[in-house]
Amino acid sequence: MFLDGNEQRLFGTFPSVSCVQARQVAATTTGPSSPDEFASSPIGNTYSSPATRTRRRRRSTTPLPYNTPPTNQSRFATSESTPTTTPHRTRHHVSTPSSDGGPPPSSDAGDDIDEATPTFVWGTNISVQDVKAAIQMFLKHFRDGQSQGSEIYEEGKYMKGIHKVLEMEGEWLDVDARDVFDYDVELYGKMVRYPLEVLAIFDIVLMDIVSLIQPLFEKHVQVRIFNLKSSTTMRSLNPSDIEKMVSLKGMIIRCSSIIPEIREAVFKCTVCGYFSDPVVVDRGRIGEPTSCLKQECLAKNSMSLVHNRCRFADKQIVRLQETPDEIPDGGTPHTVSLLMHDKLVDAGKPGDRIEVTGIFRAMSVRVGPTQRTVKSLFKTYVDCLHIKKTDTIEEDFQFDEAKIQQLKELSKQPDIYDRLTRSLAPNIWELDDVKRGLLCQLFGGNALKLVSGASFRGDINILLVGDPGTSKSQLLQYIHKLSPRGIYTSGRGSSAVGLTAYVSKDPETGETVLESGALVLSDRGICCVDEFDKMSENARSMLHEVMEQQTVSIAKAGIIASLNARTSVLACANPIGSRYNPRLSVIDNIHLPPTLLSRFDLIYLILDKADEQTDRHLAKHIVSLHFENPESTLHDVLDIATLTAYVSYARNHIHPQLSDEAAEELTRGYVEMRRRGNFPGSSKKVITATPRQMESLIRLSEALARIRFSELVEKHDVTEAFRLLEVAMQQSATDHSTGTIDMDLITTGVSASERMRRENLASAARNLITEKMQLEGPSMRLPELLDELKKQSSFAEVHLHDLKNAVAELASEGFVVLRGDSVRRV
Amino acid sequence: MVGPMYDFLANPLGAVRSTFDKAIGSESDPSSFDGKDWGAVDLFRHFLFDQARLSQVPILNGATINWIKPNTLVRFRGMIQDMLGNELYVGAYKDGSAWRTNKFMDISQCPVEFNSPDMRLWERRLLYCVPVPGLSSWAESTSDVAVNMCMDSTSEQRDKRRRMDIEVVDHNDFPVSGDEFEFSPSAKRMKEDPKNEGPCSSHVILPDVDRDSLPCLVKIYDSPESELKLNDVFEFVGVLTFDSELPSEKVDQDEFSNGLCDDVSVNLPSNKVPRLHCVIHRKLTGYDFLQNSPPTEPKPHLVKEAREALLRHLTSILGNDGVAAHFMLLHLLSRVHARADNVAVGKLSLNLTCISKEIASVFGTKLNIVIKNLLPFTKCIPLTVEYLNTVFLAPKKDYQINRLIPGVLQLAEGSHLIFDETCLETGTLDSVGIENTRLLKALAELQKVEYDFQYYKMEMMADVQILVLSEGKSNILPADIIMPFQPSSSGSSDAVPAEVLEAWRWYLATVRSMPHTIESDMQKVVENDLVTARQADRSLGSQDFSRWLTMGRLISASFGETSLSLEHWQMVKELERLRIDRLK
Repeated sequence: MFLDGNEQRLFGTFPSVSCVQARQVAATTTGPSSPDEFASSPIGNTYSSPATRTRRRRRSTTPLPYNTPPTNQSRFATSESTPTTTPHRTRHHVSTPSSDGGPPPSSDAGDDIDEATPTFVWGTNISVQDVKAAIQMFLKHFRDGQSQGSEIYEEGKYMKGIHKVLEMEGEWLDVDARDVFDYDVELYGKMVRYPLEVLAIFDIVLMDIVSLIQPLFEKHVQVRIFNLKSSTTMRSLNPSDIEKMVSLKGMIIRCSSIIPEIREAVFKCTVCGYFSDPVVVDRGRIGEPTSCLKQECLAKNSMSLVHNRCRFADKQIVRLQETPDEIPDGGTPHTVSLLMHDKLVDAGKPGDRIEVTGIFRAMSVRVGPTQRTVKSLFKTYVDCLHIKKTDTIEEDFQFDEAKIQQLKELSKQPDIYDRLTRSLAPNIWELDDVKRGLLCQLFGGNALKLVSGASFRGDINILLVGDPGTSKSQLLQYIHKLSPRGIYTSGRGSSAVGLTAYVSKDPETGETVLESGALVLSDRGICCVDEFDKMSENARSMLHEVMEQQTVSIAKAGIIASLNARTSVLACANPIGSRYNPRLSVIDNIHLPPTLLSRFDLIYLILDKADEQTDRHLAKHIVSLHFENPESTLHDVLDIATLTAYVSYARNHIHPQLSDEAAEELTRGYVEMRRRGNFPGSSKKVITATPRQMESLIRLSEALARIRFSELVEKHDVTEAFRLLEVAMQQSATDHSTGTIDMDLITTGVSASERMRRENLASAARNLITEKMQLEGPSMRLPELLDELKKQSSFAEVHLHDLKNAVAELASEGFVVLRGDSVRRV
Repeated sequence: MVGPMYDFLANPLGAVRSTFDKAIGSESDPSSFDGKDWGAVDLFRHFLFDQARLSQVPILNGATINWIKPNTLVRFRGMIQDMLGNELYVGAYKDGSAWRTNKFMDISQCPVEFNSPDMRLWERRLLYCVPVPGLSSWAESTSDVAVNMCMDSTSEQRDKRRRMDIEVVDHNDFPVSGDEFEFSPSAKRMKEDPKNEGPCSSHVILPDVDRDSLPCLVKIYDSPESELKLNDVFEFVGVLTFDSELPSEKVDQDEFSNGLCDDVSVNLPSNKVPRLHCVIHRKLTGYDFLQNSPPTEPKPHLVKEAREALLRHLTSILGNDGVAAHFMLLHLLSRVHARADNVAVGKLSLNLTCISKEIASVFGTKLNIVIKNLLPFTKCIPLTVEYLNTVFLAPKKDYQINRLIPGVLQLAEGSHLIFDETCLETGTLDSVGIENTRLLKALAELQKVEYDFQYYKMEMMADVQILVLSEGKSNILPADIIMPFQPSSSGSSDAVPAEVLEAWRWYLATVRSMPHTIESDMQKVVENDLVTARQADRSLGSQDFSRWLTMGRLISASFGETSLSLEHWQMVKELERLRIDRLK
């Protein structure tokens, strides 16, 4: 942000001049207005009316150039801000004891400073010496909380920082405003209220320290403040914030091109070739010498600008817009202009979400360049000190103490689980277990990464299958609204690349760029996919990787990348033939490949039962919706904002661990679930649970602990997790011919009993063929075979289709040859 | 109220100034007026409402702008189309020893010495307002009084011309596109002769303003943000100003302001967009657009009479299709009265099916005229593939000029849209077209429009009545009621006397704004009916029930009653039965 070169030179060699300039800068920048301001404003006017001084608190840096401590020239420079020689000349008249800036860093200006008399920042009761001392203390002695105590001899955080800056030849030192607050509340308050003055002192102190450590350090180091205690919303900026330090959040919507701002101009005489001394900018203007300064020449109007010997600084104007969540109902987003200098230029691109710390300032609007009249309008902008990108959603959610306390209170309530369940989509009645599952999905489990590199996802995937009109889509919409980074897509309109990522060519540069799709965009969020069954085969296959590995791999057009997609998938599907057929398995009903289906932790069937109770509930609900105030019908539920905050806090701050008791319960429960598949006295083995279910159970119990803000997963969490899983499995994985849970239905699409039946058929067919046909003998037609088979009592119900499958199996063993309809033994 | 009589109309700023002087005399510290009024607004309120002088304030529109003097009190009726943020201005400053104010002004009277402590910075909001989209010609406020206002300095000839204007307005009952209108003789003359306007206008502005849609930049003082929302329809009363120096403005852009060149004055030069410093604003309802002051009390017999007559008229317009006319009446009365989650309660969009191109040409135009005559804001949109592929339905933010570019669907609350799908032919929708159909679907289903803010979208609530004319059931705009249209005659087109139309407009406005409840025993009956219906037919869902209840509410409201009675509930079921029969 600082300009190298000349200014440092100035600072180094003529420190007092630099101070003067800086003060002058501060003076002019507050009101870079009418050109005659300087002539008319200074000194006399303010001194003549001392009574008004107290009232001009915030105008502290105005007409009188000498009452503020020096700041760096470039820091708040607008186009108009520049040092002049005028103040230099008048300097001695003004800087009398009553108001003088901080002591200049070098002795040559020391004569007019009286250290004993307290110096005040203009119009305030802030003593420059006090502030200086406070800053010195802070920079030298501030230590982080951790390092405090044991290592007293270690250097403070910022001394370390300064050393680092010197090593790196950096140009600024980032100072966390919260550190300032922790160390010295008073200093923090002064800094926020009078940033121009206090920051200038900050810079001086910093340079003092720098020159002590490394006297020959060439560059000028500046302080950049960030992370203020409280951030303002763009909407609440008002005239009382002018000249104060503010912190704003928003999204960059437009960046101007980089504006080279001339700082020093060099002129050359076209007659004799004499180069003038650098002329500095004076209130946005360069005074072109009217005649050559060389005594021998003195040609009139001969000087012309030499561009490549002038010095320029970068400047950029950026527009920041409110983030959507700050916009009230029926409003449009507000915007504010940011002024960026030097290093901050191009620090953000349009579309970036940033948090900016800066000084809110106003500038008058002049009617015309030559006119002195000023419109009564002021333009406001924020002079940036620091910008921070806040692209991760977690940082968007800042919790203050009160809010955290409130959330914690809430979490202590014994019925919090039920209450949250009720608050989730309160307008959708019943479906309580589905809502509980969705709640678990919102909170999520812990992702685990082992040292070996293996990782276990913490995200819970849920599939809702059900009849039309059972408010599946509404549930989806609701979750989408609630989840921090929800993306809502419809399976019908989604392509594989749209979901994952695609490579496109930038029309301007011709470069290939990687564009993220829905799943990548919803990293750490929930991706809601409506009409999952309508999704193309191709798109669905992309989901395999995402749902288990949580990454998206791309290899095309020279780009090989693996993108994180740590997203939970919430999908809903309609059964084939619009109504769910309870006689068929889930897989047959929705036609999803079992490989994909098994990746869902919970699969819920939402069926429309012809139940009068439900109907009455529906009727009541709709009547009340129409004739009462819909809000009043819902009580004891959390509003969306609280719910979102609750979820977000839990996701970021609570990381529950399994307790021993819970682990034991998990093992016991799992073994029991597996055991249920072994029927006594039966050889058939039904898989009632797989390791995948075990993982699901862990995730669910972790999520349940999170709901309570508990760092420990307890036994009842595990019990509830089992219950949730069982409810979901009962609906989706029940083998209707036997009435037991059969995971094979999900994992392979064929239940164990069905498989048993097929095996029996195949062996019967084999026996039959061995009996009826000779090796290499004449072939037999399938219907004939079927008729033979039907003679056996146990296969009276066999279809030709089934038989064909059985024979095909035999053919694959090389036992028979199946050609069309005819079977031949080989 | 005792006080000096100010000339509020011709010199409102005088009143502002003298109240300020008085207030500062007693308070002495202008900082106590930060973001507050010092009594000037009360004075105006007293003048305008208590003394009922509002009608004397001239209305600012394309016709009147040529002769209204700057710095006088004017009225502007319009919809808030965009919000341009806040603006800081020198609210009060010290001139010598006396405090002066710049409130309700653009430029300070005497140059303020800048940075002076004798200055208070105040804040005002900028709203960009446009005439309500689709405003019917009858709802345009004629400003008879305004003529008198300017009489003293107005020549005979101008008066004559004004009368012609009114005639033009009267003749334009038909939908006329803006272009045609511009070529009407009076508009043309308007464009030609503003130069020799004489003493009445000290500034000649807008040779190039579209006469039909004069926008206005309204500056709002000291009112809470929540009071004025996007797309609200307001009447602003305030001081009209122009900046005089503007032609030179372009030159003066130094690089700093170039970067910030969303500057209002650059994009909305005041020779195109007048400024109105709003003193008093009030939200307009359907009533305010009626020309004659309506009877305040909705007398039962008046309501019933109007209902009968209107239903008869609708039936004859619809070729004696009584059932369709019934649904049409309910449709015209509907509005969104509550929202729960994603459900907009109270909307009743109507899809008249079985309308071929030929039938549409007969009935479509008639319907359009009838609706235009009845409702204040209406639009008819013939849907074609080309239209869907090219039109900007959703408003879009243009960051280059920092303005919200209006889309077709940026509409005021209570607007009526007719979508004519009969001219839709097979074709391919491109990405714009798909996006547009998605928007239309969302509007029909949820009554929400997504505004495009480029980096993200923002949903805005809407309350728009949608009537769809199509051959089969419309897939683009899923309506609440699918009604096969069965005319038995070609429909009459008798002219309706103006006072009858006025009565009908009054009827619609009144009935729409009535509250409505349900008695608890009636609620039981309704609930039981719903349960029985669902037991009998599993395919009935919450949407169907919602529709019935909305119809019940509207039917009883159409009779001027505020609670649902059994009789009206039976009517709902009967109407539904007739409709279902037709669908089979």
